[in-house]
Amino acid sequence: MSAQVMTHQMPGPGRLRKMMTNQRFYRAITGILVFIILWEVGARSEQWAGFAFPWIGLVPPPTAVLGAWSTVFVESSYWMSWLQSFGRVLAGFTAAVLLGVPLGLAMAVSRTFNGLAFPTFEVLRPIPPLAWVPAAIIFWPTQEMAIAFVTFLGAFYTIVINVVGGAKSIDIRYFQAAQSMGSNGADIFRRIILPGVMPSIFLGAAVGMGITWEVVVAAEMISGGGSQIGGTAGGGLGFFIWNSYLGGSYELIVVGMISIGIAGYLCSSTIRKTGTWATPWKRLR
Amino acid sequence: MTTDNSKTGVGQGLDQAAKAALLRETMPFKTVPDATLRRIADLAKEETLPAGTRLYNEGDRADDLFVIASGKIEHALGPEAEASKLVKMVKRGDVIGWAALLSTKQRRLATTVAEADTQILRINAQKLRDLFQNDQQTGDMVMSRFATMIKEDYTLPDWLAKTRSIGEGTVARSEAEVPVSESRLALLGYRLGLWVKSPKPYLMITGFTAVLLFWHFSVDVFEWPRFRNMPGLVEVITEWLSRDPIYGLSVWTPEYYTHIIVSIRRVFIAFLLATALGVTLGLFMGWSKGVREFVFPVFETLRPVPILAWVPLAIIIFFHPESTVIFLTFLASFYATALNTMLGVDSIDESYSRAASCLGANKWQVFRHVIVPGALPFIFTGLQISVGVAWFSLVAAEMVSGEFGLGFVINTSYTMVKYPTIVIGMITLGAVGYTTSAMVRMLGDHLMQWRVRELAMGGR
Repeated sequence: MSAQVMTHQMPGPGRLRKMMTNQRFYRAITGILVFIILWEVGARSEQWAGFAFPWIGLVPPPTAVLGAWSTVFVESSYWMSWLQSFGRVLAGFTAAVLLGVPLGLAMAVSRTFNGLAFPTFEVLRPIPPLAWVPAAIIFWPTQEMAIAFVTFLGAFYTIVINVVGGAKSIDIRYFQAAQSMGSNGADIFRRIILPGVMPSIFLGAAVGMGITWEVVVAAEMISGGGSQIGGTAGGGLGFFIWNSYLGGSYELIVVGMISIGIAGYLCSSTIRKTGTWATPWKRLR
Repeated sequence: MTTDNSKTGVGQGLDQAAKAALLRETMPFKTVPDATLRRIADLAKEETLPAGTRLYNEGDRADDLFVIASGKIEHALGPEAEASKLVKMVKRGDVIGWAALLSTKQRRLATTVAEADTQILRINAQKLRDLFQNDQQTGDMVMSRFATMIKEDYTLPDWLAKTRSIGEGTVARSEAEVPVSESRLALLGYRLGLWVKSPKPYLMITGFTAVLLFWHFSVDVFEWPRFRNMPGLVEVITEWLSRDPIYGLSVWTPEYYTHIIVSIRRVFIAFLLATALGVTLGLFMGWSKGVREFVFPVFETLRPVPILAWVPLAIIIFFHPESTVIFLTFLASFYATALNTMLGVDSIDESYSRAASCLGANKWQVFRHVIVPGALPFIFTGLQISVGVAWFSLVAAEMVSGEFGLGFVINTSYTMVKYPTIVIGMITLGAVGYTTSAMVRMLGDHLMQWRVRELAMGGR
């Protein structure tokens, strides 16, 4: 109550003031703070109270994580990991968009092509991307390409499915109307199908981006030393995590996890922003 | 047999094809499949009415319905019929006497007199109903088309309601009489027939063949540079089906099934845990503003961390490989389920909760009768996604840590250079994963038939 009165008198930009007076904002902060404090207490209970909680007692406490983070923050190898992971994600993701969008559109436009390709696609789709890792390593000349390929697969399926689904959900009356007014195939494609699938493309891309990060982490762990599959292509945030695990610096595992979370979030929100920018008609609602 | 006081004469032979063609012109039988239409045509007896013949009177017992082939008949409804037009002239392609099809009130509603020499087809209603009982789908269709036809004549809403219940009532009754499995089988056969006639299966086979041939030729025949290293199609299949597999894993070895069962068990446990916890958390986050505002930010902060980034931490925390794998699989499912459940609660129209509260429901009752069923469709969407991601992370978890399981098979086959086994593992994984997803989808459709029907009606 008193906080509310105080903030009312506070000058400043309207948006900030609105956020500060918003109960939701405080509750969100409280929730996260409580979570962090519980984590800290749980992790330090052995130090402080002499007994370890199960499970949580084995996790490095947040303060230690922050400390570890501040030391690696200035090291170039940490940022190299970021760069390497970003590079792989971008390579796989770009390939998935470049191949997936045309393939999805082709399946949506041509019934014959759909009949030919879609069943095969559906048969391959249930195989999780990571199950392809060993096969990819055998096939591609370098591990780098193998990782990019698996990353590509992760986003590819989602994008294709979304494009096909988006095209199918277009109201058939639009086509009928356009045809009755004399549109040709190219017009229909450009004026109806493309804008119709645009939101689905971005949705698929955003989801696909999430999967890409999942896959890249796993691929880096598996090929870069995780499990028995050894390899030369180290690096990347997934490898950073795995390496920290092997080296016993558990704080750095959490640092790596948070870094990947941030990286993935940045990528996904960039795509969502681009999506809202590219489909302005969806904003009005 | 019939009380219709008509002077009828046998006309100059319309053959089956001509009768079928006439039936095809009528509103109710327009969309009947050819085979069934011919059988209906066999039921139809052709008659000729001289001008001035009274076909039936209002209030007579109704046994047959009539299709007009030529000529015209005046059709006069009784005043209590509440029709939009009491007297009308029926011509070729019109159907009269449909009262015979009603299950409850088999009395004529109109008086019909031939205006000119008229040729009609007489169809016994009981025989027609019997025919439809053996062909549920067509019967359903014809009945609803009858209902539409009748609706055009009667404008008053209560009549409309009554005529609607005619069609559906008849079908519902016959559904109860026919063994369900039989009618389903017939439906399945019909769909299968349609599918075989369409180009779809042939395109599909072409697609599969092309991919398999490409695999075979690129690896075994032409031995292209990189492809040469891959296991070939023939090698994989012989290994998979061999009683004495070279690399020790085929459909005949018990280990194959051990791996499958271990993987399914892990996914099952994780899925159950995730569903129990995810649905609960999702419902509470959606239902209570307080819970959401405190918990959801934490949830959203943790969610961007990929499941697989948890692997080392999970190993540290749980130590035991089995619990590690289950935890990772659980986590993926949990996010999907909780998020979709919350979205499901959001999607419920708030006026439902308000209406329930106005009618005196307490908070718990609103939760039980409004929130839970309302969120169910989204929950099942979430569960479908959840099964998918469960398999996704299971593979990764099994590859990194774990003994047994399909992911483990794929990984160890690589390290021990048992290349065909990798492919066997992948194919099996795909098949098992697909089956579990399909099972969840079917369960969802089964539990939410009201929604399936709603969608079907919305889509017309």
